[in-house]
Amino acid sequence: MSFLYSIFVDPFVQMIGAPDLLVQTLWEGLVGGVLYALIALGFVLIFKASGVFNFAQGIMMVFAALTLVGLHEKGVPAFLALALTILVMGALAFAVERVILRPLVNQPDIILFMATFGLTYVLIGLGELVFGGNPKNMITSELLLPSGSLDFNILGGLVSLQKIDIAAAIIASLMVAVLAVFFQRTRIGRALRAVADDHQAALSVGISLDQIWVIVWFTAGLVALATGIMWGARSNVSFALEIIALKALPVLILGGLTSVPGAIVGGLIIGIGEKLGEFYWGPLVGGGIESWLAYFIALAVLLFRPQGLFGEKIIERI
Amino acid sequence: MSVAAAAPVQEAGETLLNVENVSLSFGGVRAIRDVSFEIRRGEIRAIIGPNGAGKTSMLNVINGFYHPQLGRITYKGATRRRMRPHQAAAQGIARTFQNVALFKGMTTLDNILTGRTLRMHKSFFWQLWRYGPALTEEIEHRKYCEEIIDFLEIERIRREPVGRLPYGLQKRVELGRALAMQPDLLLLDEPMAGMNLEEKEDMSRFILDVNAEFGTTIALIEHDIGVVMDLSDRIVVLDYGNKIADGKPEEVRSDRKVIDAYLGVVH
Amino acid sequence: MHSGAPREVEDTALDTFPKWLRHHAHARGTRPAIRLKDRGIWRTWTWAETYENVRALAHALRTLGVGVGDKVAIVGANRPALYWGISAAQWLRAVPVPVYADAVAEEMAYVLENADVKIALVQDQEQVDKILSIGAQLTHLTHILYDEERGLRTYDHTRLHAIAEVMAASRAMLADSTIAAELDAEIDRGLPDDASIMLYTSGTTGRSKGVVLSAGRSVAAARDTVAFDKITDEDEQLAYLPLAWVGDHYLNYAQMFVAGGCMACPESADTVQQDLREIGPTFYFAPPRVFESLLTRVMIRMEDSGALKRAIFHHFLGIARRWGEKMMDGKPVPLYARLHYALGTLLVYAPLKNVLGFSRIRTAYTAGEAIGHDLFSFYRSLGLNLKQLYGQTEAFLYVTCQPDGAVRADTVGPAAPNVALRLSPEGEVQFKSPGQFIEYYKDPAKTAEAMTEDGFVKTGDAGIFDADGQLRILDRAKDVGRLRDGTLFAPKYIENKLKFFPNIKEAVAYGDGCDFVTVMLNIELASVGNWAERNGIAYASYQEIAAHPRVYALIAEHVREVNRALAREPQMAGAQIKRFLILPKELDADDGELTRTQKVRRVFIAERYATLCAGLYDGSSSADISTEVTYEDGRKGVLAARVRIEDVETDTAPFREMPRERAA
Repeated sequence: MSFLYSIFVDPFVQMIGAPDLLVQTLWEGLVGGVLYALIALGFVLIFKASGVFNFAQGIMMVFAALTLVGLHEKGVPAFLALALTILVMGALAFAVERVILRPLVNQPDIILFMATFGLTYVLIGLGELVFGGNPKNMITSELLLPSGSLDFNILGGLVSLQKIDIAAAIIASLMVAVLAVFFQRTRIGRALRAVADDHQAALSVGISLDQIWVIVWFTAGLVALATGIMWGARSNVSFALEIIALKALPVLILGGLTSVPGAIVGGLIIGIGEKLGEFYWGPLVGGGIESWLAYFIALAVLLFRPQGLFGEKIIERI
Repeated sequence: MSVAAAAPVQEAGETLLNVENVSLSFGGVRAIRDVSFEIRRGEIRAIIGPNGAGKTSMLNVINGFYHPQLGRITYKGATRRRMRPHQAAAQGIARTFQNVALFKGMTTLDNILTGRTLRMHKSFFWQLWRYGPALTEEIEHRKYCEEIIDFLEIERIRREPVGRLPYGLQKRVELGRALAMQPDLLLLDEPMAGMNLEEKEDMSRFILDVNAEFGTTIALIEHDIGVVMDLSDRIVVLDYGNKIADGKPEEVRSDRKVIDAYLGVVH
Repeated sequence: MHSGAPREVEDTALDTFPKWLRHHAHARGTRPAIRLKDRGIWRTWTWAETYENVRALAHALRTLGVGVGDKVAIVGANRPALYWGISAAQWLRAVPVPVYADAVAEEMAYVLENADVKIALVQDQEQVDKILSIGAQLTHLTHILYDEERGLRTYDHTRLHAIAEVMAASRAMLADSTIAAELDAEIDRGLPDDASIMLYTSGTTGRSKGVVLSAGRSVAAARDTVAFDKITDEDEQLAYLPLAWVGDHYLNYAQMFVAGGCMACPESADTVQQDLREIGPTFYFAPPRVFESLLTRVMIRMEDSGALKRAIFHHFLGIARRWGEKMMDGKPVPLYARLHYALGTLLVYAPLKNVLGFSRIRTAYTAGEAIGHDLFSFYRSLGLNLKQLYGQTEAFLYVTCQPDGAVRADTVGPAAPNVALRLSPEGEVQFKSPGQFIEYYKDPAKTAEAMTEDGFVKTGDAGIFDADGQLRILDRAKDVGRLRDGTLFAPKYIENKLKFFPNIKEAVAYGDGCDFVTVMLNIELASVGNWAERNGIAYASYQEIAAHPRVYALIAEHVREVNRALAREPQMAGAQIKRFLILPKELDADDGELTRTQKVRRVFIAERYATLCAGLYDGSSSADISTEVTYEDGRKGVLAARVRIEDVETDTAPFREMPRERAA
């Protein structure tokens, strides 16, 4: 009885009893969710445009952050390092298209998936070789990102928002907005949607798949770079971040593999869900709930909606 | 800007595309054996043959989806080496597919607009903001697409996602998308497959109108031989990858080899 | 007294349409007169621009030799250029003759030749081809003008001209002020007695006749109804009815020319429903069949939606059914009901009307066929001011119409303003009206036949007056017959009762001079198909589903229900349906089974399906039919089928005690 009470009643009593803590928890969940959403967004972009499930998306994030910090360590000024990193991500996109996608076109999906698996290890190896394997600190202040916190005395307590988190939320929202407009309004955006829909037809109207793939991988690389900077600023830059990147998987299951809004909403649900779970229900099972709760939520969704919350129910007339 | 004014009628007769001794095989299977023919500007050229005769392979060769092992293809006077499909599109070759390849999640209008991809030049920065020259350009393209929508009489489905449309209308939208490219050479892969009689009549009329109004050269593959006889100016007949006849409909109709290979087996 | 109508409605100097046009060009030159959705965009012409265009076209027609009394055919869909053609001909005191655009070549040849058409103004290549194919028979035709150039550039242009080109040439010449003055003077020469238009009646029997209407009478009729329904220059409507039908010429042309309102031409026949939503007309006319198919579509969509939505929808429809009409008619309604209805407006009625394009409608009419009570009430209960009128080409439309507040489903209203209405001793409806026709063109015998000695027009319809003076139409007078035992047999009355079932599209009843009543039916594929889908019945064609035993069972139940209703009416109880069949094909105007206005041609159908008719009366359980059918493209084919014939029980409701003196 008391066990049921502690599951179904007590956490809510706590929430109402200490609203300041609730707000704090929600905020942290939100910021985590935004970053999950960005990683998932990179997956979705690539999956939609090329049908490739990009296992390397998480590593691309670490690789981008590492390149940025590593270049700076070697004495390159921060913003030049940023520009160079963007170039590197462009080169990576180009190389992926040339070396992986083009030769493997029309191969089964699983082959392409394995290829991205390979890419993961290439990137890890390359990163460690060039920049070393030690955890590094993100060059937050050099990039003029804010630090410190904003503290509010509200709801009978103290709510503290890290400025870097606020910046992350704003930058993430801007990126999503720009991407949305890009998809809806531009010729390339329309071409991307076309390629996502039917490769053969896209070719026949003169859309170059090679070019689109480069653009998509480059866009995903930019998203990865932004995400890497944010995550790096919250902890540090090392290949351990990859574990966090894998959180994108439940986000994708939740939101649907092909839906951009799904990636965003899925990210927020997972982010907020796991923080609330950890804080209010975690003590019941001795903590550590954060590491698996996301998968638990995703599995529950999978049972009822295999296509995810926002995934396409293919509308097709036969 | 009217469609008719934008595309002056071309002089018929000059060779637009020349296929010389082309052979294509997949592994050990020879799909096309030493086939030659030419397509002249302004004509409607049909490629017919029984199933497996190599018709679609031929279209895919012209369009750049396949690369022949032997032979030469000369298009607009230039002999091409390996050309990729989007390059073919850039040079004015548009096509439709046997099983309709549309962007099913997009509306009719958006599908047709994709046909304008190659003709949109303004930087995507301006497109982002729908500003200045990009806006003017967008309006011009939209206008052109509206002309096509009017031409094909598909106003009613302008805003409908094409995935929900009946098959016959999907084929029409696909033709519209190809027309939006303002092609010099339009390749139609079984434009009437799977249609009912009335839809076939409509499609025939559109094909003839496209040829007459836009002056577009058309090469079409068709199974329905009756339709082909009425539509085309000249016909190539393939059988097991070989060309067995080439000429005007009435010549082909009376050709012994054709009757044996094809007409004989079709009632 | 008619507050909404413009003052000039009373101006008797404006007695022809060109005079009205000129008047509006000055009085409200910047107001919209006509719109067209073209290439996805609505284009609008003001009254001033319309006047300019008509003027240019009038000059062009005059250059081509059109003079007083010459006939100008107008063929095509609702397009501004064709409406301008009508006005331009009237400007020159010539007579426009609109022809049904879907008429096949022979039909068109008859009309053009009978009307002595000199010039044809047509929409597109399709019509040009049709006219060229019958060119040899048209002895008076000199020129063809077309609106849409597509496909016509390579044609011989000696007698063929683009409207836009001749108008441009005319504009150049009208720069010369003497030429312009000469042309403008033509308007003032126009007299109210001039023939203003010739409308060919579709005719349920025989060749169609050209009904000649005069300018003065047309304007007078339009004046009355513009005042009656308070139509103003703020009003707008969608011009989607066939040009050759009196309804279009009256409601869209005459009324709007008098009121100074605006008519919008749809993009194509297929897009009418979407265009309606975009335009949001304030005045609307549609035959009952359109209202019916709209309702069917709404209901089907609701059936497919979620349970919650469906529950809300049906709940508020119930509220509307209970209070909506009462509120519209100004009857006392309790406050809670008003509030409940207001909530319904917010959640259901307003969104629904918006989807249908009915949001701005002030006045809507239906006519042409009887409308089912439920159907009629459905729209009225949503707050749509739907009314009935009864009219004829010979009256220039209005004979009766329902005033706001006195609207019923089973009547067509009292006499329209300034119309004299009476019943002949045989029960035939007769009238004298302001818009009354002059004559049938070149047919004095038929003209005389249609009139009584004291100048009333015989409608040929049998009717009765209700206690409150509203007219109720029973059937065509000549179609009302008797069974062998003397029971009154009004086929249309029975057919309409059947057609009120959404599953039944058409019905053709027989019984005159026979022992009992039988019917042939067409099912409505949309609703029966939906029913079949829900019940797991597979079918590939109309013919297949029409013959399905379970469909027969479904329809038989409807027939039994009609019998129950008939049994309650003393005059009709003896005319219950004993046997029925479902036709293997849909009745079609192209096969001559329906008129162009979609009325069944009973006698023709009886001849065409003679074997089926025989089967209905010889007791057999099936009959064979083999007949030629015309496809939409004009090709012909053969339809062969064995058709089931089914018996139905009749009802013996206890009505015999009721008084029978009204039967006669």
